[in-house]
Amino acid sequence: MVFVTGIGIISAIGKNVSETLSSLLESRTGIGKINHLQTIHKDNYVAGEVNYSLQELENLAELKNSNYNRTTLLSLLATKEALTSASIKDISSHRTGFISASSVGGMCHSELLYKDFLEHKLYKNFIDTHYTGSHAADVAKHFGITDYITTISTACSSAANAIMLGARLINNNILDRVIVGGTDALCKFTFNGFNTLMILDKEWCKPFDNNRKGLNLGEGAAYLVLESESVVKAENKKTLAILSGYGNANDAFHQTASSPDGQGAYAAIQKALEVANLSPNKIDYVNAHGTGTANNDSSEAAAMQNIFKESIPPFSSTKAFTGHTLAAAASIEAVITILSIQQNTIFPNLNCSTPMQDTPLFPITSLQKNVELNHVLSNSFGFGGNCSSLIFSKN
Amino acid sequence: MAMYINGTGCISHQNTIDVDAFFERSHIDCLPLLVAQEPDYKDYVPANMLRRMSHIIKMGVAAAKISLQQAGLENVDAIITGTGLGCFEDTDKFLKTLIENNEQLLTPTSFIQSTHNTVAGQIALLIKCHNYNFTYTQQGLSFESVLIDANMFLNENKSSNVLVGGLDEAIQPYYDLLVKAGHIKKQEDIITEIEKNKTHGFCLGEGASFFVLSNQKNKTTKAQIKGVKTFTSIKGADDLQAKLNNFLLEIDLSINNLSLVLSGNSGDFEDDKTLNQSNKIFFSKTDIACFKTLCGEYFTASAFALWLASTIIEKQKVPKALIHGYNGKQELKNILIINQYRNTEYSFMCVSSC
Repeated sequence: MVFVTGIGIISAIGKNVSETLSSLLESRTGIGKINHLQTIHKDNYVAGEVNYSLQELENLAELKNSNYNRTTLLSLLATKEALTSASIKDISSHRTGFISASSVGGMCHSELLYKDFLEHKLYKNFIDTHYTGSHAADVAKHFGITDYITTISTACSSAANAIMLGARLINNNILDRVIVGGTDALCKFTFNGFNTLMILDKEWCKPFDNNRKGLNLGEGAAYLVLESESVVKAENKKTLAILSGYGNANDAFHQTASSPDGQGAYAAIQKALEVANLSPNKIDYVNAHGTGTANNDSSEAAAMQNIFKESIPPFSSTKAFTGHTLAAAASIEAVITILSIQQNTIFPNLNCSTPMQDTPLFPITSLQKNVELNHVLSNSFGFGGNCSSLIFSKN
Repeated sequence: MAMYINGTGCISHQNTIDVDAFFERSHIDCLPLLVAQEPDYKDYVPANMLRRMSHIIKMGVAAAKISLQQAGLENVDAIITGTGLGCFEDTDKFLKTLIENNEQLLTPTSFIQSTHNTVAGQIALLIKCHNYNFTYTQQGLSFESVLIDANMFLNENKSSNVLVGGLDEAIQPYYDLLVKAGHIKKQEDIITEIEKNKTHGFCLGEGASFFVLSNQKNKTTKAQIKGVKTFTSIKGADDLQAKLNNFLLEIDLSINNLSLVLSGNSGDFEDDKTLNQSNKIFFSKTDIACFKTLCGEYFTASAFALWLASTIIEKQKVPKALIHGYNGKQELKNILIINQYRNTEYSFMCVSSC
């Protein structure tokens, strides 16, 4: 069995777990006016920015002249909180790994410096930190983690795969303890990319609403500390949840679009249920991928209907709080899911009022307290047909 | 660990599509940029899909198809790829247009193909594979991450086949950035005996090497992977030798059992220092060859080394360009690959006959 013993998070709704929880309990979104990203579109769109400049993030991390980019600093801050939350003082006391996820890596720096290079032939050495894996190498080094380091980049499902890989490394007795999650900073590259696909809503996104117009981008990082049963027993550790199931599948339908019946999503959920040895009716709540795009929400609803048939569990997308944080989304939502389990609370799907015409499914739109949540499913899907689902259970 | 290699497909600077030609004509090119010899992609990919594909996607999809053909498979239970750089051509195209047009008049094609998982996704789409699909990007350990995952997958799922690949592209804008950063060796400094370098820099290479791995041995099996190990904190030659000793113990081999060592010297004398010191002592009586003289240095060059090792074991011969004075009498049983990237990321792999 794999236990969650620590969590750390930074996103538009807070720089740590307690701020995040307050925002969730108060239904306070972090999506608003764009302040930090220097894009020509900043006055026409909203986004879920982490409300600190690069310098402020470095100060928060208690670093000086680190030369780390935004992706790396976000990762470092959330990792630090996760390690503290798991009361880990000696990294080398167990076989410890660091598995991160990112889609942009150092792009937030590269896109600024490449302009100088192309226009003015100025070159500052950015290529060495451009690589998606370089943040993981830096963060692992910062905390002295050496036993296993890797980065996963499967677009918007990346962090779910990082969490799944961590559990498998423990179950295969390769590691005793692993810090898993993802990080992505907002950058012009992804902002313009999603804009050309015409799937950005200029106003607050409305996941699962019939009039949804697209997603809001966000940024952030979140990490979980996973530990084996033997470490938890030996050290008599406090645990936050059990990671009981995980599944990965491919939609194999289109490079970016999801299949109408959500075949990949269905397969990922099915596999997660098999690993957890649970029947669908045991799922008490689903933290949906729910991006707010026409295509995703219909496809995900179809997959949920095929899995759960007549008895659809309560579900909500929390992306209207944080924005879609791409490779970090699944770990941000994993932390939110664990908070749900701990608080016996379902956080609402904001901005949704009109039921979708093509499905009877409708999300939870107001805060629900005192709901016994024993098993919670969290979905994440991405470009390239990558679909992953995780199941977290109460201790 | 025993993973059988039941099919391989490799696109590299050498002619690795035609294995006979590879053994006869592979050679060392003293060039700072070692681009891949590409096949006629129409043989492997439908023309309508080919039109939109960037360089790395074409290399990856073709190498994947070749390895599936060799293994006699239409589909697999998992697709796992590793790339250090990702889809740079599409990334560069979108980023340049974004900068030049000041974030206006952009089209989505290069953006949607810029994500690191594009190749694994395109292979899934092409063979209609709905199964496990993963993409790793950990600089010089991207491909090793793939193999560690594949090994777990084969433990978890009996009698299954996994398609794995390591791939990176060396397109001109990336090469230009590396030149600016001072990472590329000057033309006049390039020598054929890579371990004797006294200058900075490496020659950039590229390629895609794919493998069908299985826990089942069959008539197409070429070799087996006995072990894979990664390190991010090697502290000098003594430490490297201690880690090598442990690795050999773990896979139940001694130095005397090694027929050949493939060493991942990049050509940068600083980065290669630890490796050279260790090799000189540890493998004083073992045949050793530096594989990056054939493929160049890139994040997933170790995938080329795996292809090379399994091909050497299958064909029981060593290309002349790789090692001079090899007597060719000894049976080629176990090949150890030691790779390093920028003297920070190290890996060991052992490939054996079966």
